Amino acid sequence: MSEAVDLSFLSEAERDMILQVLQRDEELRKAEERRVRRLKNELLEIRRKGAKRGSQRYSERTCARCQQSLGRVSPKANSCRGCNHLVCRDCRSYSINSTWRCKVCTKEAELKKTTGDWFYDQRINRFANGPGSDIVRMSLRRKPPGRNSQALGGEGPYPKKPPLGCSLVDGLHVERPRTQAPFPPRGTSRLDGGWGLYTARVGSHGAVSADENETIFKKNPRRILRPADYTKSVIDLRPEELGSESSSMGDRSKSVPGLKTEVVRDEEEEDIDNLVEIHRRRTARSSMRSGTSSSTLGSMVSIYSEAGDFGNVCVTGEIAFSLSYEHKTQTLFIHVKECRQLAYADEAKKRSNPYVKTYLLPDKSRQGKRKTTIKRNSVNPLYNELLKYEISKSLLLTRTLQFSVWHHDRFGRNTFLGEVEIPMDSWNFESQLEERLPLHGKAGADSAGSQQYRGELVVSMKYIPSSKHPGAGNGKKGKQEEGGELQVWIKEAKNLMAAKSGGTSDSFVKGYLLPLRNKATKRKTPVMKKTLNPHYNHTFVYNGISPEDLQHICLELTVWDREPLSSNDFLGGVRLGVGNGMSKGQVVDWMDSTGEEVSLWQKMLQFPGSWAEGTLQLRSTMAKPGA
Amino acid sequence: MTDGDYDYLIKLLALGDSGVGKTTFLYRYTDNKFNPKFITTVGIDFREKRVIYHSRGPNGSPGKAFKVHLQLWDTAGQERFRSLTTAFFRDAMGFLLMFDLTSQQSFLNVRNWMSQLQANAYCENPDIVLLGNKADLSDQREVNERQARDLADKYGIPYFETSAATGQNVDKAVEMLLDLIMKRMEQCVDKTQVSDTANGGSSGKLDSAKPEEKKCAC
Repeated sequence: MSEAVDLSFLSEAERDMILQVLQRDEELRKAEERRVRRLKNELLEIRRKGAKRGSQRYSERTCARCQQSLGRVSPKANSCRGCNHLVCRDCRSYSINSTWRCKVCTKEAELKKTTGDWFYDQRINRFANGPGSDIVRMSLRRKPPGRNSQALGGEGPYPKKPPLGCSLVDGLHVERPRTQAPFPPRGTSRLDGGWGLYTARVGSHGAVSADENETIFKKNPRRILRPADYTKSVIDLRPEELGSESSSMGDRSKSVPGLKTEVVRDEEEEDIDNLVEIHRRRTARSSMRSGTSSSTLGSMVSIYSEAGDFGNVCVTGEIAFSLSYEHKTQTLFIHVKECRQLAYADEAKKRSNPYVKTYLLPDKSRQGKRKTTIKRNSVNPLYNELLKYEISKSLLLTRTLQFSVWHHDRFGRNTFLGEVEIPMDSWNFESQLEERLPLHGKAGADSAGSQQYRGELVVSMKYIPSSKHPGAGNGKKGKQEEGGELQVWIKEAKNLMAAKSGGTSDSFVKGYLLPLRNKATKRKTPVMKKTLNPHYNHTFVYNGISPEDLQHICLELTVWDREPLSSNDFLGGVRLGVGNGMSKGQVVDWMDSTGEEVSLWQKMLQFPGSWAEGTLQLRSTMAKPGA
Repeated sequence: MTDGDYDYLIKLLALGDSGVGKTTFLYRYTDNKFNPKFITTVGIDFREKRVIYHSRGPNGSPGKAFKVHLQLWDTAGQERFRSLTTAFFRDAMGFLLMFDLTSQQSFLNVRNWMSQLQANAYCENPDIVLLGNKADLSDQREVNERQARDLADKYGIPYFETSAATGQNVDKAVEMLLDLIMKRMEQCVDKTQVSDTANGGSSGKLDSAKPEEKKCAC
């Protein structure tokens, strides 16, 4: 059963009025999302500083936050009641009733309130889909029953004449009719009714980039799938054969003039990316981490350069440019004027063939790349070229514009000459004055957070104490030695990183029940192709788990991009457990769950026999932080 | 319009029979004005208001002040919009359930609205305040305070007699609802963070008025 509401009874005028209200709501929500994003970034920052959860070193009497030695302390009085870690006095926040938590837990609690997550965490238990606003809006765009042909993709996704309410409001609306496909039933059908709408919507936005969504590690249904936020510069031009999916996609690609040529133009760098790809696979998994600096989400080139495969040029010079944003067409214009005093790529021959490349970070997909022409043999190249991004203003404000300058070598490899990054939220678009900024080298590992937004995984878990009554949900059975069943329902992932060219991934989820990382506990979902928002809807079942075991095991879920001819690419992962760094009295590094990971596990422990659902932020590395 | 310069975005929703005064009530609250004309709400609408919320410690000691941005959803009371309006219930953190003190029928329908809420709100026992509006029209009154209070007690929710015309209890009712929500929020966060639930955490200012501690479902 679809969640759509039959609104055919409304008159044209009524529809318009309602759409205007929804539009206002959308704007409010966007402002809210920006705010939430800011808040979440603050948390990442705090987590990054210090913070070692469940690692070996912490249990040797060091503060889990600042790594200070604690000397001889009583574990009981010095453990944070949020995360159970030993924490020194400086890293605590006391509340009014003189209880305390460590700074990270305090911040997490605070965020739960200020972001509204306390509310959305509950709401998702009843309504797994987007805001009522969105449902109504989509329902409004539906044709009245009887002419309901859009399910076949026959007539395009929206009424031919976009409703009036849409065109009255500036900025955000323009793309709405294009992107807001009503939800024809898509391939992946859902078992329970409430999900029907949800799935369909994901389906129609399967090709958006990893950062499309401003929802930093969030489950909030309101924040997922905001079609308006979808950037045209990162659309995947899907192959024609995708058939049923193509009705809305077709519309979109049409709305992106120049996309095709962009793709062609990018072919020239294909070989570099290939090399990098190979290089990346050769390096150990752990090197993935070093590649995920805050400035280089998913960047292959940066990994490449960090590995020293590009000549190490001492970065000099500056870049001159100006920016403007045109609301009418929702386009960012980047006028790249010139570079001055660039370094020589070939010091001996005093040569550089520089070109400028841009990304709107964190989108580093091919579709998000723009380049100028190559200027031969000049360290003061004059470009005067215009690079364009079609992107809504609100989304743009969440991005960081990155200029990087490269030396083009026809026979060898391109050489990095410097880069500069400009957060768009602080840019004054009113002033279109020329800006000159000095270039700098690759952002080092120090500025790279080990935490990096990799998308989210939606998981529901249930522990059934007695296997004799699966699903009976009859609560606690006391101490039963064996026979408990752990069910892990992998529902979906959101905003995964794009691992394939074309800005998509073919992902699957793998599960292990630690400490056993072997065949016995290995589980896998099927591969979901060409989407960054896959719906796995797959359940892992583990038997013979006693309630006591749940304190000592840890469910590790990792998301991978399937590479049939090579090793799979790691997209992110989570660990679910009590997160106290211990298992059966031993200190283990994998019992390192934090925040939502712990609370979901706890929620499951608390209510045996019933589903506990959570949206978990994917970790960018499963290695020990700081290791 | 909104700059994101606030600490909390709290979404409230007004519901109740057509003509009980939801729109005028909200208009009084946000703009402190009264519009006696009846213009039926088309489906849904919302208004916004920025307020300062003062949290209080457990013993009533003054706590922090927070900027709260209120989004006040106004719903059409008319039956024909029902499918539309109920879709918005799930996104509200608290509810202003309103009836007309001069209409017995609107009061009888409170029961139905309550079950609508239980079915369509974000959880089964959301924060609600019951409002008997048009208290200024005392000569036309059909619902006495006793009746209304009994019903509110039965549901364990606060009751106010309000008037959008005079402004009586308008601010107070919204503040009460906000306070209930803020307290619930504290509880939720406390509960998910700590396994031992002994701690009550800090609570808001209007503690005594809360009939019973509600548990959140998280």
